[in-house]
Amino acid sequence: MINGSAEIVYDLSAGDPGFIAEIKEMGGEELLECIQCGKCASVCPMALAGFPIFNKKLIQAIFFGARDILLDDSSIWACQSCNRCTEICPRDVRPFEIILAMRRVAVRELAIPTLSIEGLKSLYDVGHAVYLRDAGQTRLKVGLPETPPTVLASPEALKEIQAILDQTDLREIGLFPMQGNGMADASEV
Amino acid sequence: MKVGFFIGCNTAFNRPDLEQAVRFSFPLLGVELDDLEGQSCCPSWGTMPSVDLAGWSAVSARNLCLAEEKDLDIVTVCGSCYGSLGEVRHKLQNDPSLKEKVNAILKGSGRNYRGTADVYQSVGYLCQNIGLDKIKQSLKYSLAGLKVALQPGCHSLWPSEIYPDREEDSFHPHMLGDMCRALGAEVVDYSRLTDCCGMGGMRSADMGKSFDLLTVKLNSIKEEADPDLIVTGCSSCLIQMDTAQLPLNKDKKINFTIPVLHYMQLLALCLGAEPQKVAGLAKNDVGAVINKIRGDGNV
Ligand code: SF4
Ligand code: SF4
Repeated sequence: MINGSAEIVYDLSAGDPGFIAEIKEMGGEELLECIQCGKCASVCPMALAGFPIFNKKLIQAIFFGARDILLDDSSIWACQSCNRCTEICPRDVRPFEIILAMRRVAVRELAIPTLSIEGLKSLYDVGHAVYLRDAGQTRLKVGLPETPPTVLASPEALKEIQAILDQTDLREIGLFPMQGNGMADASEV
Repeated sequence: MKVGFFIGCNTAFNRPDLEQAVRFSFPLLGVELDDLEGQSCCPSWGTMPSVDLAGWSAVSARNLCLAEEKDLDIVTVCGSCYGSLGEVRHKLQNDPSLKEKVNAILKGSGRNYRGTADVYQSVGYLCQNIGLDKIKQSLKYSLAGLKVALQPGCHSLWPSEIYPDREEDSFHPHMLGDMCRALGAEVVDYSRLTDCCGMGGMRSADMGKSFDLLTVKLNSIKEEADPDLIVTGCSSCLIQMDTAQLPLNKDKKINFTIPVLHYMQLLALCLGAEPQKVAGLAKNDVGAVINKIRGDGNV
């Protein structure tokens, strides 16, 4: 399992020629600055924990145009967003941005973990990606009001969040039904 | 002095005792907190940042707007919030076309992001704006005799260029240690100080691998430092390190338990806060630590 990467074979003739441009478009702008020195990998928790395609390998695979292989592997979702790689890269590639760019490509192919969909849905429905149902009780236990002064306490704020999310690519991608207050209002009129 | 308190989902719903610690400590050190009413999720990495750059930036920018509309900076106890908001702030500073897109999205809600609010993490904010001396002078209890190991947290450190309260050398951080020594604690070193706790995307993707990463870290802490307490600068590290020790013991991956607190909880205790309120949700018993701090055996 840990050596899963050894099983990945890149067919160099099958590379997707538009892939590099796609990654750049999705936010991985400095991709081509990478010289594969491996510094990012040397500090990466994903690499340490044994996920097969960590920062440096991801970049090389993008150079190969290995779009399908990358869409089949879920390593990118184990990235900790820790930015050790960004800090240490001598070429300012910002490898974490490449991970995010690859995630954005994957999301558009609906290759996205269930937990992320749930988080997004929760962000849309209540304004918090992490929301625990019995949180009110927990808060009361330590002497805080049941509801924090966040979007949870403000229908207007939630409307605003939903209006923002409605204008993002989320709507087009269609991971979950987005029928927020805006729509409800419209149907009331 | 006044600052906007960005609570963060995990703190508000999972560890509100940490929220209480902030609400207790800041005013006692002369910093008034503004609630930034209507604040939302930062948003966290596995959600909007992974979907749409402009969409992520718009949700974050709205949160930043809540502070800048009141002429305030933002402080948070969560590394992810600090990172997500800080990254967006940095991007909007350097990318006029992204800023334009974001303001087009925000326009419907009558907001316009300018970029005046800075984002701090709690430890860095207090270190820079209040200072070690004032903190020392404000204490009711000291941590004398208490050995602590540190967990600064990834997002508090990297990428350092985007943060206003950055370390001089982010791979050799010293702020959290200085702040613990200001409380009277003895800070004990261990070799895996800057290792990741395993929370975050990795834990969602593969709990086993995430826990393995943490096991290496915990063993390093135990064997090399054997502290009374682990002190984190990040609410995610707090949750991971506090909750994972139970299953790790059950699975015989470790055979010890070390209490874990966020720095703000420890500070609140030293400032005289009621332990139940500011540390009452810890999974690993912090009673011995609290007794040592308060010396009243009342816990
Ligand atoms: S550190 Fe930078 S240049 Fe080196 S392999 Fe990683 S991304 Fe490429
Ligand atoms: S941000 Fe992701 S890719 Fe970069 S070092 Fe951290 S875990 Fe690895």
